[in-house]
Amino acid sequence: MLIQQLTKHYGAKRVVDEVSFEIPKGKVLSLIGPNGAGKSTVMGMISRLVAKDAGLVHFEGKDLAQWNSRDLSKRLAILTQSNNIQMKLTVRELVSFGRFPYSQGRLQEEDRQKVDEALAYMELEVIADQFIDELSGGQRQRAMIAMVIAQDTDYILLDEPTNNLDIYHASNMMKIVRRLCDELGKTVILVLHEINYAAFYSDYICAFVNGRVAQFGTVEDVISKENLSAIYGVDFEIQQVAGRPLSIYY
Amino acid sequence: MKRQDVNQIKAAILITLAILAVIGYLTFNVNPKYVEFAMRLRVPKLLVMLVTAFCIGGASIVFQTLIQNTIVTPCLLGMNSLYALIHTAVVFFLGSGSLIARHPQLSFLVDLTIMGAAAILIYGTLFKKMKYQILYVLLAGTVMSTFFSSMQTTLIRIMDPNEYDALLGSLVASFSNVNSSLLAISAVLIGLVIFALRKELKLLDVIALGKNQAINLGVDVDKTIRRLLLGVTVLIAIATALVGPISFLGLIIANLSRQLFKTYKHTWLIFGSAVLGMIVLVGGQLVVEHGFSYSIPISVLITIGGGLYFLILLFGKGRQRIC
Repeated sequence: MLIQQLTKHYGAKRVVDEVSFEIPKGKVLSLIGPNGAGKSTVMGMISRLVAKDAGLVHFEGKDLAQWNSRDLSKRLAILTQSNNIQMKLTVRELVSFGRFPYSQGRLQEEDRQKVDEALAYMELEVIADQFIDELSGGQRQRAMIAMVIAQDTDYILLDEPTNNLDIYHASNMMKIVRRLCDELGKTVILVLHEINYAAFYSDYICAFVNGRVAQFGTVEDVISKENLSAIYGVDFEIQQVAGRPLSIYY
Repeated sequence: MKRQDVNQIKAAILITLAILAVIGYLTFNVNPKYVEFAMRLRVPKLLVMLVTAFCIGGASIVFQTLIQNTIVTPCLLGMNSLYALIHTAVVFFLGSGSLIARHPQLSFLVDLTIMGAAAILIYGTLFKKMKYQILYVLLAGTVMSTFFSSMQTTLIRIMDPNEYDALLGSLVASFSNVNSSLLAISAVLIGLVIFALRKELKLLDVIALGKNQAINLGVDVDKTIRRLLLGVTVLIAIATALVGPISFLGLIIANLSRQLFKTYKHTWLIFGSAVLGMIVLVGGQLVVEHGFSYSIPISVLITIGGGLYFLILLFGKGRQRIC
């Protein structure tokens, strides 16, 4: 996926300003940056949730706008932060919605199999028949991920997946992200606030400041004392832990 | 027992209740000598009630799903107050003896045309202009409601009291003086709406997941919502033109249906809501006719019951799920 000169205005304010980068296939890419840097808006535009004002998002040979929405939904899945589902829905039913692009609501044998696989992969079989609104935040997040897995797309976009999760569930979520990439061969793009999660679980990092790409590269390239201080305006210490750069800030 | 089976049993009970209500309504206190005469009076009323219940019940469920909120009613679309304004204006400017006021068919057509035009203008065009922000549409509907009501109140205040007396009958929902000749055209219109929206209706389950999820799953959300919203408005307009302002009923039956059938499937929810509407309307009318001997219109019953139920919804145990 190739992003060229992507731009978005809200009123007179340019929240995303001629952003260009390439998303490496089969890797985990984290978008980081301070609040209001435009990372979620970029995520919205590359997933067609937010309309872009200018620029191109090349996806598998053509611009995103030229894709038929249903075909696209078999190639690219997005999970946003706000998922307050109002309906009486069980975990299995939610995960089954992931098959909607294929079955249009009428599940075939293959769809059921994929749903079962997704439930098993996220270890949700025990609670498969519980209602979503009776689950804890961590369980609900796992159910949402299972739905994305059932959707069976090459690209998975996650907008702040660790938001509102405690340390246990958040680090589990990041391990799941890693497995999606390593075991299932997915390309995963995340918006993250927690720099250390980005450093420890992703392959590439793209850092935004004021609607522009400040840094793009491998974790080792981007996570340095100078870079992070410039991006966040806070003093950083970097230590190597388990072969990864751990940033310390306070 | 599986949820699906439980729902089927509940559906069977509902249908039985509805049939009982229908039989009760048709046969209660009928003098065997005048069966034919009684049927000629009761059958058209009954059919109107069934059609109204279907319109309001279906439209309410769809509307709540589109707004993503289960305590809204299509009242918010402002069709009730527009209806009141049209009728008041007709009587005010043309008089209660005028052609439009006297001819139910004509008045029905005028209602439908104006409400349909308003629906297309507000919920078709404006929605597009507002960049598909559904809350703006609600706001527009609320402002329109107030606007229409204020105009109507002003007209009433300077109206001849005799004319007002004649008008009042049509401003309160009632099945007592409904014209059966409007049934056929209503049924045809409803059929057309459903046919035009057959694809969109199948997408309701996905739309209910929220806008982002629906887009993610490949649904053209903006177009679907716009078309469904238009359909809802037309159905409400038909029901209102048939019997008067009654869409508050939708709040009760839609929520009862959601509580009864604990499912996300709109086929069940719409079915439940429509059948519950039939039970409430037919049963209510039975009570109105034979319990209160027509001294109160059914809308009074519905408003009292609906108001209480609304409060229960707001303060009751279902709170987390509803708000």
